[in-house]
Amino acid sequence: MAPPTNLLQGTLDLLILKALTLEEMHGLGIARRIEQITRGAFEVKAGSLFPALHRMEEAGWLAAEWGESENNRRAKYYRLTRSGRAQLKTETAEWDRVSVAIALALRAS
Amino acid sequence: MPILSTLRALWRNLRHTARADYELDAELQGFLAGLVDEKIRAGLAPDAARREALLTLGGMEQVRESVREVRAGAWWGALLRDARYAFRSLRRTPGFTAAAVLALGLGIGATAAIYTVVSSVLLRPLNYPGADRLVVLLHDERSPVAPANFLDLRRASRSFQGMGAAEMWGPNLSGQEPAEKIPALHVTADLFPLLRVKPLLGRVFRPDETELGHEHVVVLSYGLWQRRFGGDPAILARTILLDGESYQVIGVMPREFGFAPFWATNTQLWAPKAFTAEAATSRGAQSLRVFARLRDGVSLAAAQADVSLISGRIEQRYPGVARNITVRTLQETVVGRVRPALLVMLGAVAVLLLMACANVAHMLLARAATRQREVAVRSAIGATRERMVRQFLTESLVLSGLGCLAGLLLAWTGTRAIVAWAPGTLPRATSIAMDWQVVGFTLVLGIVTGLIFGLAPAWQSAGQDPNTVLRDGARGSTEGGVRARARDVLVGSQFAFAVVLLVGAGLLARSFLALQRVDPGFVPDGVTTMIVSTGGTREAQPTARAEFFREVLRRIQAIPGVAAAGAINHIPVGGDTWGQSFWIEGRPPLAPGERQGATWRIVLPGYFATMRIPLTRGRDVTDQDRIGAPGVVIVNQYLADHYWPGEDPVGKRLTIEDPAKGAQWLTVVGVARNAVQGEWSAPASEELYLPFLQDEGFVSGSGRGNYFSYVVRTAGNPASVVPAIRAAVAEIDPAVPLSAVATMDELIAAATGGPRFYLFLLGSFAVVALTLAAVGVYGVMSYAVSRRSHEIGIRMALGADPAKVRRDILRRGLLVAMAGAAVGVFGALLFTRAMATLLYGVTPGDPLTFVVVPAILALVALVASYLPARRATRIDPLVALRLE
Repeated sequence: MAPPTNLLQGTLDLLILKALTLEEMHGLGIARRIEQITRGAFEVKAGSLFPALHRMEEAGWLAAEWGESENNRRAKYYRLTRSGRAQLKTETAEWDRVSVAIALALRAS
Repeated sequence: MPILSTLRALWRNLRHTARADYELDAELQGFLAGLVDEKIRAGLAPDAARREALLTLGGMEQVRESVREVRAGAWWGALLRDARYAFRSLRRTPGFTAAAVLALGLGIGATAAIYTVVSSVLLRPLNYPGADRLVVLLHDERSPVAPANFLDLRRASRSFQGMGAAEMWGPNLSGQEPAEKIPALHVTADLFPLLRVKPLLGRVFRPDETELGHEHVVVLSYGLWQRRFGGDPAILARTILLDGESYQVIGVMPREFGFAPFWATNTQLWAPKAFTAEAATSRGAQSLRVFARLRDGVSLAAAQADVSLISGRIEQRYPGVARNITVRTLQETVVGRVRPALLVMLGAVAVLLLMACANVAHMLLARAATRQREVAVRSAIGATRERMVRQFLTESLVLSGLGCLAGLLLAWTGTRAIVAWAPGTLPRATSIAMDWQVVGFTLVLGIVTGLIFGLAPAWQSAGQDPNTVLRDGARGSTEGGVRARARDVLVGSQFAFAVVLLVGAGLLARSFLALQRVDPGFVPDGVTTMIVSTGGTREAQPTARAEFFREVLRRIQAIPGVAAAGAINHIPVGGDTWGQSFWIEGRPPLAPGERQGATWRIVLPGYFATMRIPLTRGRDVTDQDRIGAPGVVIVNQYLADHYWPGEDPVGKRLTIEDPAKGAQWLTVVGVARNAVQGEWSAPASEELYLPFLQDEGFVSGSGRGNYFSYVVRTAGNPASVVPAIRAAVAEIDPAVPLSAVATMDELIAAATGGPRFYLFLLGSFAVVALTLAAVGVYGVMSYAVSRRSHEIGIRMALGADPAKVRRDILRRGLLVAMAGAAVGVFGALLFTRAMATLLYGVTPGDPLTFVVVPAILALVALVASYLPARRATRIDPLVALRLE
């Protein structure tokens, strides 16, 4: 396996939104879920994850509440809000546009 | 709603910082526990699992800090923390903090105080609506205009919306005790309307009230209304007695109204100016200050051209009476004379402020150096450069904030001191007050200075490689070259600034001494003066007046302790100076541009002897020089030398009436030594003394001749005879008031009050500057010594001569100071050139001052470096080497 890629600036937000589409999760769960859906290409560090979560919560894309974790510990669970879903949609569209453009650019010769 | 949630978050973060931190902590602990669980499940021992988990997490504190930084309002929290930290670290070094706050407070406070004065006096518009369109018409920007010329200008000019004139007056207010001579003005009816100020009560003058016989109406100032009439609301129904004639009160002006603003500033009532037929055609006696309002769209230059054209025409018909009538804005006339002085003071405080900044910057640099280890440790454990710069800047801003507070306090007290000390020549002194503009100015000044002197040290120390610092510091090596040079430059610049201020103060001191040495042409010691005015009393009667003034003189001369007494219409220095044209017998008509006027004095016999003004030729006037006898005049030396060079003027004849109209010729009977006239340091100019008993106006006319200034010379304390003089006058007529009682010395002190005031200001700035410079060089040298104690210790241990070590340090201190001083000399040359108008009897490049000041500074630098140098040679090598 190639060493984990550095997360592109801005993609972390998108990945967090994506990871939370199905169910609410706590921080570690989100990190593991991102690793899973990217097949281990991205390794999320706490130093990037938590600032992002708090920023997105303050922006109103995520809502959080305290709950019990699988090991009966108190954990903060994040879920998507309505504006979070909207954000996911626009960011996905944006990403598609950019990735197609870049792929085209790279293929051109 | 995103905005709402951001606001909510902001509220939570700011309001419940502790809870937010606690929750973050719990969240992170949960995350860590999850990681540990994973590792254990993967088969690690609990201890190893925990270690691994912590490594994966990457430092709990860093994560916490990075979350805090993205939170809404993070800057605020960081600012608070930085400020708290700054306060704590400033409190740990009270000496440094006190010195820095003091230096900044002095710099900012002095600047704010002077700025207050400058903005109140120079920048704020005068207290009349549309004051920027008001202008003043005078001869040569200062002398009054003759009535007929005023009437011609008013009739013929096209540039003005209105033109009015004012003439000084001083009637006795009687009818109620005590009788009092009131400073007053006669004004034409157009004057108040052009000022556009509405009276508080009643009305101002109607045009028909400037006609003879209708002029007995009066407008009171608010102050006089309150003081003498108890603010009587029915004042408009009253008549008052002025010079014994009844005047109807028709108006009271508002409290803040004052007129005129540049002369007769203590005027308390106004009455209409009614021109007699004779006065309306008079072009010889110049007594009117002319005010006008520019018509819309007319420039000052156009108005001047208009006036010059008209006065040129007058000049053609009546040569010599209407030369150079200038149009200046009222604002310029009021403040023009003090503007250079105030701007110089503002420049001086700016220099002082720069100096305070340099001082504090150098202290901060030194402090930053001693904190290198702290900085290195902090950046080693993860503080970013940006974070460190912010921390340093916060600290210098806190410092400058404290300096600002100290400065505001100083500015407030300083402004009051300035108002209390301000000489009478400083216009608008009563309107000097701090306002929000000044407070804002001070705050901006504080922030800007904080940024300026905080940025350099912050950037420099935050940019260091922690490795080098920690290694270097441990060995206590000599400090790096760049930083040492930066500090030398800062201290050097302080000396440069100090030179500028000290040279300025030195020149003012020399001018002041020169002013003290001015020979007034008379002997002021032991002379007291007062005005005795007969207006409205029975002594004002033409039949009684001449006898009354002579009787007063005789009685004063009889008082024990009085050595001599005399009387004159206006005393030198303190009194008015009235101009008078004159013509010399047998001379051709005047060429255009030639002025032939003199200061006009009326004297009683004995004036010259009392003042000890020697008569170099001829005789004094006597009681025989009366109406009916041949007219006589005494001229001053200047007039004699100027108009009869190489000749004996005694016996020559001149006249003060137009010879074309059949003049009465006056024979020169004496020549008096030049005496100071109005302005203390003005060069001598023409002066005529006429005998009282030959002047129609004084002997039997009304108005201008009803008062006299008495001069009394005593052997002892001049003030001691004043009660006896009062009693003597009251014995003749108790209704006659004495006013303007002052000794000649007091009048001279008042006349030189301006220079003394500016010397005091600049002198105090110079003292502060000298102190700052001394503290600066002392600080930098003792710092250098303490940094080099290791090196010096080794040199001493190896047998270096203590005297040589001391010399080395002294030399470096002196070098830095003198290099700065050399630069300062150039700055001072520029600065003093701007001061030229403030100087008297000394040139801006005065060699003595320019030699003495650097010498003083060298001495200060030597003394300030000596203490650290001595300390250096007392370093015990063992202690120094073991120290670190």
